[in-house]
Amino acid sequence: MSRDEGRRLLLVEDNDINREMLQRRLQRAGYTVISAADGQQALDQMRQAKPDLVLLDINLPVKDGWAVAREASVDPVLQSIPVIALTAHAMESDRQQALDSGCHDYATKPIDFPNLLVKIETLLKS
Amino acid sequence: MKLKNKSLSLRARLYLFSVAILTLFAINVATHLWGSFARSESLVAYRDAADAAQLINDLEQGLEAARQQVLVLATLRETTDEPLDKAERDTAMADLDALRQRLGRLGALAGETTDDYYRRLFNSAAALLGDWEEFYSNYNRINAPQSVESPIRYNDTRQKLEELDQRQEFLAIQRSSTIDGTIRLTDRITVIGFVTTIAVTMLLVILLIRSANSSLLRLKTGVQRFGSGDLSYRIDENRDAGEIQDLARTFNDMSGKLAKAIDEVNSAKADADAANAAKSMFLANVSHELRTPLNAIIGYSEMLQDELGDPGEVDRDQVQHDLGTIIVSGRQLLGLINEILDLSKIETGKMQVNLEDFLPVPLVVQVCDALSPLLSQRNNRLELDLAEDGEISMFSDAGKLQQIVTNLFSNACKFTENGVISVSAWADNDWLLMSVTDDGIGMTAEQQGRVFETFEQAEVTTGTQYGGTGLGLAIVRDFCVMLGGEITLKSAPGEGSCFTVRLPLTAPASAPEAA
Repeated sequence: MSRDEGRRLLLVEDNDINREMLQRRLQRAGYTVISAADGQQALDQMRQAKPDLVLLDINLPVKDGWAVAREASVDPVLQSIPVIALTAHAMESDRQQALDSGCHDYATKPIDFPNLLVKIETLLKS
Repeated sequence: MKLKNKSLSLRARLYLFSVAILTLFAINVATHLWGSFARSESLVAYRDAADAAQLINDLEQGLEAARQQVLVLATLRETTDEPLDKAERDTAMADLDALRQRLGRLGALAGETTDDYYRRLFNSAAALLGDWEEFYSNYNRINAPQSVESPIRYNDTRQKLEELDQRQEFLAIQRSSTIDGTIRLTDRITVIGFVTTIAVTMLLVILLIRSANSSLLRLKTGVQRFGSGDLSYRIDENRDAGEIQDLARTFNDMSGKLAKAIDEVNSAKADADAANAAKSMFLANVSHELRTPLNAIIGYSEMLQDELGDPGEVDRDQVQHDLGTIIVSGRQLLGLINEILDLSKIETGKMQVNLEDFLPVPLVVQVCDALSPLLSQRNNRLELDLAEDGEISMFSDAGKLQQIVTNLFSNACKFTENGVISVSAWADNDWLLMSVTDDGIGMTAEQQGRVFETFEQAEVTTGTQYGGTGLGLAIVRDFCVMLGGEITLKSAPGEGSCFTVRLPLTAPASAPEAA
């Protein structure tokens, strides 16, 4: 494994099955993964655990992914953390909305995992 | 001027205009007739005056001649005894008669104003002529009185004649000056009337043109404003009367109908746009719903493939659990596809109803059992209140009833957390009543109105929070209608929802068209 050991990712996903699956695969890929199941938890975790990168589902209870991304992008502490939006919405307008809301990248479900890893590495290095 | 009154109709204005012109014309004609009458009057007066003067002159000369003859004969009689022969005497008497006739004609010409003068002349002249006649008839008698030489009578008659003449002349002058005044007056009236008629006619024409023009201008403005898209513009109907008011009213009626038609077209277009937007939203939701289980299926499969490729011991329990997750996600996907197909069948009228005898209560229990994992997912508790198993039997479509219960139950589980979901079923005469009640988030009245519509969930954001395509309740509603029943909903925000299904125990042979 050539990946940086100990890089910490925050995975935000409300669907238990999908969260568990992605968490396991990311751990296998060598990342330390912490998770959140709704938008508010996501912001709290970003502040407390200070992850290196956030994988953010958009359809979240309490506070949706767009709101989380917007809030993080204007927060002086959080705005430096790169965010990748994960969504089952596959329209072009959704992609644009992700970038407009302050996300740094965008991945459509079903997730193309190797491609996602490339995106994560690119953002972590920059 | 009546034309300033805007409430007169165009026809009334034209009539008034014609009457005014005719009246002026009649006044002109009357003035002219009056003038003509005065002129002929004056002509008669001059002629009478001239006749009278001529008669007076003749009378004067006749009297003079008769007196000369009488004086000559009186002298002859004194100096000779020669008698007057009969022919001479008859001639003289005829002359005197002629004088009497002239006097009579003069009398005919005398008016009231000269009556007194004439009577005095007549009396005097009658006495004079009487004297002369007596003179002629007694001429041959010896002792006849002889007083004809005396000039007193003659002079008196001459004086009376002179007075009458002067009086006649004075009156003629007076009368002619009055008549001349009248002629001047009528001439002036005629000229003034003529000029006034022209002026008033022009004024009326101008007013008529202006009023008609302003009415037409208002109509034109209305048509232009409406035509340029101001659909609420209406012409002021009360500014005109009659035909133009009718026209304005007709135009306003037409405008109203047109505006309504345009509104209808616009609202139909808005409806079509809304339906389109709903379908797009539906497609987006379907896409989203298909991708969520697919994400799990593909993700777990890839992960298992990776893990099984690793060297070392395989955690068999872990693999079995992961495969179970893949199966659940696959079933979820299948269920979703079935729902979409069901709806498509209902919409195209191809949904079959399979009637059979069955017991509905065990069917409800079976569904609740099967969905117990869904129930515990959000920590909900189930309460059942059902009739005895064999108490109710139905002749209807068991599969559809099963789907109705499934959809309502899973819906209740989806929108309730840490709550109670109650399912009850009982018979009421020939009807099965089945209700699913939860104490979840509930709905506003407005949401309740839309919740059975295809592609609709209570909120656009509901799908993102609670999942689902908004098809379940639409399918339930359509199935209830197909089985000859109905579904009702009682709900309030924060107080949960209660769906009650009412189906006939014996379904009608020909199912009503589902909406």
